[in-house]
Formats: sequence, structure tokens, C-alpha cells
Amino acid sequence: MSFQSAKTIDGIRFSVWSPTEIRKYSVAEITAPETYDEDGMAVQGGLMDGRLGTLEPGQKCLTCGNTSARCPGHFGHIELAEPVFHIAFIDNIYKLLLMTCRSCSRLKIAQDDLDELARVMSREAAYTAVSQKRIPEMILEKARKAKECPHCGKIQYDLIFTKPTNFIEKTEAGENRLLPITIRSRFFQIIDADLELLGYDPTTARPEWFVLQALPVAPVTVRPSIILETGIRSEDDLTHKMVDIIRVNQRLKESKEAGTPPLIVQDLVDLLQYHATTYFDNEVSGIPQAHHRSGRPLKTLTQRLKGKEGRFRGSLSGKRVDFSSRTVISPDPDLDLSEVGVPLYIATKLTIPEIVTDWNIERMKKLVVNGPTQYPGVNYIIRPDGVKIRLDFVEDKQTIADSLEIGYKIERHLLDGDIVMFNRQPSLHQMSIMAHYVKVLPGKTFRLHPSVCPPYNADFDGDEMNLHVPQSEEARAEAILLMRVQDQIISPRYGGPIIGGLRDYVTGSYLLTRDDTYLTPAEFTNYAMLGNYNGSLPKPATKDAKGRPVYTGKQLFSLFLPSDFNYVMTSKWAKGTSGSKQDVVIKNGELISGVIDKSSIGAEESESVLHRIAKDYSNIQAKTFLNSILVIAKQFITHYGFSYGYSDLEMSEKSRAQILDKISDSYDIVDDFISQSKKNMLKTTRGLSVADSLEVYIVNELSKARDKAGNIADTSLDETNAGRIMATTGARGSSLNIGQMAGALGQQSRRGQRLLKGYNDRALSHYSPNDDNPDSHGFVKSNYRDGLSALEFFFHAMAGREGLVDTAVRTQQSGYMQRRLINALEHIRLEYDGTVRDPYGHIMQFLYGEDGIDVAKSDHGEAFNISRLIESQRIVDSGKKAGGEEISGVLKKYTKTFNPKLKSTVIEAVTSSNLSLAGIETVCKKGLDLYDRAKVEPGQAVGIVTAQSLGEPGTQMTLRTFHFAGIRERNVTLGLPRLIELVDARKKPTTPTMDIYLEESIKNDREKAIEVAKNVLQTRVSALASYEMDYKSEIILKLDRDVMADREVTAEDIELALSSNKKFKIEASESTIVLKFVEETDAPGALAIRNKVLNTTVKGVPSIERITLVQNDGEWVIQTTGSNLQKVLGIEGIDKRKVRTNNVLEIAETLGIEAARNALINELNSTLEDQGLEVDDRYIMLVSDLMCSRGHMQQIGRHGVAGSKDSVLARAAFEITVPTIARAALAGEIEKLRGVTENVIVGSNIPIGSGTVDLYMQVSKKR
Amino acid sequence: MVKKNQILVPDHVYVPKHEIVSKEEAREVIAKYNCRLVELPLIFVTDPAIVGLGVKPGDLIKITRTSSTAGQAVYYRYVVEV
Repeated sequence: MSFQSAKTIDGIRFSVWSPTEIRKYSVAEITAPETYDEDGMAVQGGLMDGRLGTLEPGQKCLTCGNTSARCPGHFGHIELAEPVFHIAFIDNIYKLLLMTCRSCSRLKIAQDDLDELARVMSREAAYTAVSQKRIPEMILEKARKAKECPHCGKIQYDLIFTKPTNFIEKTEAGENRLLPITIRSRFFQIIDADLELLGYDPTTARPEWFVLQALPVAPVTVRPSIILETGIRSEDDLTHKMVDIIRVNQRLKESKEAGTPPLIVQDLVDLLQYHATTYFDNEVSGIPQAHHRSGRPLKTLTQRLKGKEGRFRGSLSGKRVDFSSRTVISPDPDLDLSEVGVPLYIATKLTIPEIVTDWNIERMKKLVVNGPTQYPGVNYIIRPDGVKIRLDFVEDKQTIADSLEIGYKIERHLLDGDIVMFNRQPSLHQMSIMAHYVKVLPGKTFRLHPSVCPPYNADFDGDEMNLHVPQSEEARAEAILLMRVQDQIISPRYGGPIIGGLRDYVTGSYLLTRDDTYLTPAEFTNYAMLGNYNGSLPKPATKDAKGRPVYTGKQLFSLFLPSDFNYVMTSKWAKGTSGSKQDVVIKNGELISGVIDKSSIGAEESESVLHRIAKDYSNIQAKTFLNSILVIAKQFITHYGFSYGYSDLEMSEKSRAQILDKISDSYDIVDDFISQSKKNMLKTTRGLSVADSLEVYIVNELSKARDKAGNIADTSLDETNAGRIMATTGARGSSLNIGQMAGALGQQSRRGQRLLKGYNDRALSHYSPNDDNPDSHGFVKSNYRDGLSALEFFFHAMAGREGLVDTAVRTQQSGYMQRRLINALEHIRLEYDGTVRDPYGHIMQFLYGEDGIDVAKSDHGEAFNISRLIESQRIVDSGKKAGGEEISGVLKKYTKTFNPKLKSTVIEAVTSSNLSLAGIETVCKKGLDLYDRAKVEPGQAVGIVTAQSLGEPGTQMTLRTFHFAGIRERNVTLGLPRLIELVDARKKPTTPTMDIYLEESIKNDREKAIEVAKNVLQTRVSALASYEMDYKSEIILKLDRDVMADREVTAEDIELALSSNKKFKIEASESTIVLKFVEETDAPGALAIRNKVLNTTVKGVPSIERITLVQNDGEWVIQTTGSNLQKVLGIEGIDKRKVRTNNVLEIAETLGIEAARNALINELNSTLEDQGLEVDDRYIMLVSDLMCSRGHMQQIGRHGVAGSKDSVLARAAFEITVPTIARAALAGEIEKLRGVTENVIVGSNIPIGSGTVDLYMQVSKKR
Repeated sequence: MVKKNQILVPDHVYVPKHEIVSKEEAREVIAKYNCRLVELPLIFVTDPAIVGLGVKPGDLIKITRTSSTAGQAVYYRYVVEV
């Protein structure tokens, strides 16, 4: 046995190298700009000096004597002739210059204040945690303003910083440039106590070290040279840059010695600064990029670390792996749900290590004889001494096989039944990587069961997938225990099934379970066998016309149901058809009535037959049920011969005429609206202008026209029509799709608007300007079946283009949101005490989801389904009905640990259940057991699951900002943009709105409501008056009495509102108000005053732009566009307790952090709900709690949660890599490696999930 | 965060019940969750929901939330300086 010493990194400390340290670490001073001499030997003292490490395999390092495999490389250094700034610290240099005295280098704050701050800084009290962090900011604010040093009394001068590296001091004598050397000597004097106040750790980062005197030269291993095919050496970008630095440095040194004029020397110093700057970062704004000879910008240090392909995200967080493969996928309905078909070729390349034992040695020998080329075989043999034998070139395999001994390890080919992990990118949720069992098949593609497509979001239009082979027993055990397909049937996002029947499977099961489907005993038994049925056969239910016994399709379906299964539900099909509406009824495992369609066995359908089986029985049973049903449905529909084509869209002439009729009716109505608006008689809606109202009416009417056309088309097709079957059973398509194919396509839109513009006053040049016929704005009367006219096609293409752009933009945006969510939440896990914390111990929640239930193990979000428990008990229940006292006794015993909500539902359900005492006892016992099982387990990565549960639905959301769901609706941001806005914790939403409720006494009174509304709506001067102006002297406001009366504003009100402005005097008359300027002004000044005047609020609440009165259950509610919670609270007549706004930050400011959390939960919930996406409350709560956990709203992103992580590496890997590291260095931060990203980066186990568990052993003191 | 003349609505439907936890009870909470004070969720002294309660930095606030999953849930926040 070989042992490995287990060295683990405890932590990483970041610091700034001092010049002394640089010289101490250096093995060679580099002075020569040449790298190799004519003989191709590395120049001594050059950049490729042999002491800096080795590149070629045979070479020995001149410093450590190791060969290239073991030599880590060694630093050298360059002595700079003049000091230069380190560009990563330039902002800190600037701030320090602003804060410190130019003469004594103390912070320009009185000693008393400094002492006070130092006291605050040293205070141990925990409640100063937040205030301490603000000290550096406060010092900067205060110190930069000081005109005189409070310590030495010297006068301070203004400082000008011209990016990137120039500092100029404005003295009385003129502008004086501060050179690095002066700055260095100033920084040298700064005392440690001052630095500590600023958050520096003076032991690891003295500010004078920000000015470089010596430059470290990276080892050659960091910048290897490559030898091209032509034999020419090509140097790394870093080497090129170093050469530049050395050259300039040399010249500078020489000219200084030669006594060259200072001006020229200064030019050289600047050049050296330029090269040093671009060496560290070649993307500094304000200076030109350094280029390679070929013209490509050089990739220097910062560029190596930064961004997606940089060291952090590209090489450290994301690593390349062995034992994996990738190929195109294709479907195979004959596979088991949990299998994956692996091509034979791949199975011979991927291997699994297996140890030779007494029990398998014979089998192993046979495999070895087969060797690497013949399947199943072996690719490698590993002897116990660690020697690896490659079998590719072994002639006599038999001898090798015979030499096989116990304890040898062989790397054998993949075999049927091996467990592997299968994955499709983007891996948005845990179901994107699942464990499958291998089935080796001929062909070149991975094969998978079509029903596992939804969790992977895969289709077969060329998608490729990855396959990974776990190599250790532990890995295989974890894969089997946690990742198998059957254990992923229930999605943790909403606690319902995500895997299930789809497409033809749904149609097939509908056709099979229809009332008039009969099967001969021969057919029946065939299907039963296909479905792997091995019980006894039932009796045929009926006889056919000739008197022969036949089975029904329902009987076949029932074979696979558990015998004690009871279930009632309304199928999708029953909802969608006008005919006899029969509920799906399953009694004792027998399908009595109804048809099986998507709502019974479909993917992503909660409370379905499949869901019930998975929940009430087991995942394995659900998998076998699905396997059997699907293969039968597939076979049945194949024999049935189901197809869909052009002829399925044929309609009667009558229906076609009807459609045209309906459309022209709608056109008439639209014409009517238009003529009304021209006569100015159109009734406006929700505070919109006449033109906007007209548009709303037209759009509404035209969408009705499309629906009518679609309905006619839909109903003219009979119920056996293939398209209708698919639409009503939920297999594919919708009646809208059928309507568009057979009826009319309807309005084409762009940005949620009709196609109004494109050319001047028209959408296409084929129409006359200002044509108001719906045809000219993109209403398509034709359908897909008949084809579109050329112009219609053009409009359709416009809308189609938008759809494409939309998806492209959406994937990007939701991808970034997902990344931010993951980054903010990845390290959050459930602790053993039930709290949710980050690895540094900060509590996010005291009990996960407030009830400690794992959604993935829950029953659609509830711990268990009490009514199902009672129902199943009722069937077997016998005996006397239990009395009230008995019941409460039992309940008390079992519901002790339940939370209030669960307790009350259980008590209510049980008390009204009419079961016997024994029955109630069993129900309660089962319930308690299920409750305990549904609890989250310690270590669970609740953060990651939360991030996935919110991020994954993001990809399914629409990007469209607005929608018209009827005339009364407001325009509000919805879907993905709104979700992003919420997790961003933006200061102001794009569409702020409020719902203002009224006081009890007036809430049903419309008149009073209008009165309050007028006090809420902002009325500006511009709305009340028109103006004329003389640019020199005055503005004349002409009052509009009608509007003023409507808004209930008097001329005095206007005067009062304007009186605070001292730039003019007010002279009021009957119908005008004249504003005489106090001082004569020029035109821009006058315009500024005019704008100020017109924007003055006369009445109402600022930023409330529009209001709509809505009646809800008889109660009047004011809905506003624009939000100003604080001011609205001051309005009389409103119910302060119920005022709502969608601006969460405003709520945090006026109602507090807890209210903001509630508001955030509500907003997130309604945004997701509106899109029809189901996400469990617990996830939304966790995100909200996280965002609110620090007392103020933190965004999910670099300025909030992700940016305030304790780990340096995690922050650096997320965004703003280099500044993060620089900051960490000057504060002397220590990376403790407790989170996820950090540990991935250093290559150790992640402390989440099964990684939280560790073995601790007490070493016995004796012996 | 609270500005001059700000209107406070501590009984707003969004605001759950906030109360100061006694020193004795606070110790129990800390012991129960085995954590340091700073590890608790924070709330500013100036938070509009607690300004009326007479809190000072270092207090512990008990918040009784209505919960969609559990009916009722208790949360704690540690009062910190701004």
C-alpha cells in the first residue's frame, strides 16, 4: 500500500511585497535585455536566466537542482533606476495623498478626533460592526477638506490627479508635479496608527511599497517560451514586456549617470512608468495599449487573471476532467428511464478501476485477454507498486492475464449496469446532471429516454451531452444515493414531478384509455408483457359485436396502478372539450372513468397520478409505472397510426366565410373607434391621452377578432381531429396554434405595440401615409394553411425577428442573473441546529423556510398531504367513529412538534374525518413519520438549490416588458426584467406604482375617493398654464381655468407654490401670472428658470404621474403610476396601514427592513406567478432574508451580497478580480477557505452537502 | 434612516411585530443558537419599525412574522449603530 501525506492548506494571507522582500526572494538581478545569445543559450542576467527555473525536461535548475517536473521556478528582480507607481494601488495612493499632510504626513484630522475614532475602532462591542467599516470613508470625507494640517499647522494645497499616474499639486508658486520619489518619502512618514484607522495592515502593506523600487521578475515557468515549427523561439507576452522595462531602465540609468538634461530624464521616467503600468495591466484607461509586433495587444498580468477565460474563472474555478466524453444525443424509447445508451466505441475508451479479488479474478483475466481493442476488455493494469501497464502494445495478453494477482487494479471498459453521470449544459439546476445506468449500444450517439428530456431541457436537433464516469467507490455510492433519475422525478423547485409523459406518450395514453378503445385478449397480453407485467390477468370487461370477450384500454392502464390506489381528478381533455365531462376516477387501482392525458402522467404536472404514486408509494414505483405506461402508450399509438397533416386543417366553406365575417365586423368596430376619436368623442381610459386610448381599444378589438377566428376554426374541426386531440390532451400545441393555422394569424407586434412606424407615417412603403386600416399596421387575416400575402409575410417576419432577438438577449440576461444568484448563495447551508448560515456563522434564517421542510421531500410544498392519508385510511377503516375527546388526545400526542399552520390543518382535517380511533391513530402516526422524513438534512446546500430554483425559471420568462391584459391594466414591468430589478435592489424600479387604499369611512364613496385622488396626483404648473416669455425680463403664465377647476387649484395656490423661488417677483392678474426676473438674465438662465417654474408642484405628491380609480369588492382603490410612499402617507383620507408600493427600497426606508422583506417576497412571488412559474415560497423567503440580513437591502451582485463575502478568492473569482486582490493585500486579509469557490480553487473538498461531514478521531493517549 | 418629520406606520400590514428581548432571554437565544451577536441578522437602531420602542445598539429584537409555510415564525435581529 502506498501512503500519501495529506497536506491541506489552512489559509492564504494576502500582502504587498516590500522592496526588501522582493530582493530577498530574488535569485538573480536581471539586467540584460537579451534573452538568448547566438548559440541559443540563456543569457546570464537575462530574462531566461537558468536560475529562474527550468523549461525543458532534461534541464536542471541552477538554483534548486531539480528537473522541470519538480522545480517550481524562482523569482528574480530588476532594480529600477527611478521609482514608479504600482498601478493596482494608484487609487489608494491618491486617497492617501488627499488625506495626509504634505509636510508631516499625519491624517489631516485633529488628534482628539483620531483618538475617538481609534477608540471606536478598538471597541469590542458587537453592535459597532457596521459603524467601524465606515471609518475610512469618514476620514477621507473630513481630511480632504482640511486647508491646514491640525498637527503641524502647514498649509495644504489642492491636488489634481490626472489618470492614470500623474499627481499635480497646486501651490502659490504654480503647479508642481509630484514625482513617485517625493510621494514615497511622504508615505514613509505615515505612522502605523493612522494606517490602521484606514483599514491598512501596516505589517503586510506599508503605503511606500506602492511605489516600486525593485520589480519582481516572474519565474520562467510562468512565462515559458515556445519553439515554433520553424525552429524560431517565441517569447511570452510577459517576457516581451519585461524586455521593454529593462531596456528603458538601462537607458534611464545611463542618462542619469551621463548628466543628461532633467527634462529628457523625466521623459524616460515617464516611459518607464508606462511600461511598468502596462506590465501590470494593459487595459488602463487613459494610456495606449502595448502591442505585440503583430499588432495584437499584449496579455499582461491583469489580463491573465481577469474575466471568463482568465486564471480565476477559466482555470481555477472550472477545471478539465478525465473519464468524460461528449457526443450527439438521440432518443430511444425502448431504454429504461434511468438508462443511458453509450456507443460501443466510447465504452472501450472510458474505464472503471476495479481491484482484482479472489471473487473476480477469473472474470478479470478474461477481460485482460480481450485487451483494449476487444469489448469488454481492459485498457490498463496497475500493479500494487504503482506501475501502470498499458495494454495497447502488449503482444501476449494471455501471459499478462495469467500474471494477474489479487491486489492488482485493472482499468476495465464500461459495462452495462455501471453508474455514470450524464449532463447537458447549461446546467441550470441539479437535474441537469443525473446518474444513469450504462447500456452499451451500437451507433455513435448517446441514447436517452425521451421522458428525461424536460429536466435536461434537451431535444434531438443536434444537442450534445456529456458523460462522466465516477472512479471511486465513494463517488459511485453518492451518485447512486443522490443522483439517480428516479430520485429526481420530484423537482425541488416546487415539490412536483418534472419528469413524465410528453408528446406522443400523452396522445397514446389518451387514445388507449378512451371509452371506446377495446383490445382483444391477444393484444392485451402483448401490451401487458411489453409493460413488464407479471401478475395474474384480469377478466375481459365486455364483449365485442361478435360476442368475443374484449378488454378495455382502461383495464390495460389499471394493470400498472398499485392495487390500493385511489384518485379523483379532472383531466385536461375533459376541460378542453364540450362533450361529456368525465372525471378521472381511480378506485382500488382500477381506472373507472376518465381519460389519461397530460394532467395525469405529464411532465411538470403537480397533483397528477404520477405525482401521487411517487409521493404515496415510492420513487422506484413511480419509475417502473412510468416505464411501463410509456412503452405501452408508444406501442399503442404506433399501431393506431396517428398522424397530423395539411388535411387535418381543412375547414368547411361556411366556417371560412364566418371567419372573414367576424374579422370584418371587428374592422368596422375599429373604424368606429377611429371616427370617434377624430370627432374627439372617444372616452379615454386610465388617464391616457386620446391617441393612446384609441390604440388600446383597437388592439383590444383586434385581439378579440383573432380569438373569434381561432374559435371558429377550432370548433369547426371535430373532436377526432388529430390537432385538437393533441391540443386538448396537452400533448403538443394549443388551440391558439390551431387557430393560427386554420383561422387567422392575428396582430403582429413589435415591443408589444402594433407595427405603427418604419417609414414616415406608415409601417411599409406600400401603404399611403397615415392609413389607419388595421391591415396596414400588421394585422394578418390569413392563416398558415392558406399562406400569407407578401405584405403580411413582411409583417410576420418583423415579429419573428423580434422573437429571435428576444431569446438571444434573454438567455444572456438570465444567465448572468443565475451566475449572480449562485455566487451570492453557493456557500449557504443548513447547519445541524436547523439554522441557515454562511460558513462564517452568519445566520440567514433561524429555521429553514420557517418550517424546516425540504421542498424536494415535501408533498407539493407541504410536509404531507393529510387529506390523502385520511382518504386511504377510510377505505380500510372499520369500527366506531371516534369521539371528540379521544381525537384531541391523539392529536395532542402527535402534533407536538408541528408548526402552527400544519397543526391547525391536521387538527381540522382529522376532527372532521369521521374515522375510528384506531384509524386516527394510524393516520397521525403516518403523518408524524412523513413529517420527520420531510425535514431538511444538515449540510443540505439550501443556498445553491435556492439560487437554481430562482435562476432556472428565469430562462423561461418572457423579456417583454409590457402587456395588455385588458383595458384597465397599468403598464408595469414584468417577467425577467422585473425579476432582475428585484434581485438588483435598484433604487427605483422602471415602473414604480402604488396601490392606495382609503380610510374605512370613505372607502366605498366614489366622490370622496376622487377627492383624495386629486390630492395624490401631482399637478405641476405646466399642466395648469401655458406660457410666454421674454428672455431678459419675464415669464407670463396664462392660466387654464378649465384644468384648474378640474384639479381644484386656485391661482393663489400657484402663487404660493412659486413664492419660494427668489429669482423673480410675482405679479398676478385675472388670467395671468407674470414672473418678473429680479436680475436681468441671458437666454440659458431664463430657460433654466422657466423649466424650474413649469416643474413646480402646485398640488399633490411629487412623482405621482398618473392615477386610476379601481373598485375592488366595492372598495375604491387608487392605483398610481409613480411612487412616493413617504409623501403619500401624509395625505389625508388614506389608509396608512394598507398603502403599498412596488418600490422595495422605499419601503425599507419608510417602514423598515422587515417590511421590505415582506414586500420583496410579495413582489418576487407575483412576478413569478404572473409568468405561470411555480417556485416554492421557501426559496423566495431565503433570498429575501439574505438580501435583508444586514439591516439594509443588499443586492445580489458585486455591490451587495456577493461583494461582501468574507472570502477573497470567492470575490476575486466573481468579478473585479484584480482590485479585489489588491484591496485584500493592503488590508492583510486572510483567506480562511471555508466557502465553496475558494475550496474549488485550491482543489480541496467543498464544505457543503456530503462534504460537511467529517470523521474526527480521538487518538488514544495510552500506547 | 429615519429622517426628520418622517411619518411612521408601525402598524402597517407589511410590518410584523417587533419587540425588545430582555437581557435574560437574549442570553438564552444566543445559547440556543450557539452564535456570537454579530452573527445574527442585523437591524439598524434607526429602523423605522423600532424607533418608537426605545431601542439602543446592542439590544436584541424579536420579530414575530406571519409565515406562508408555518403560520407563524420567530426571527431575531441584533440592533447595530448606523
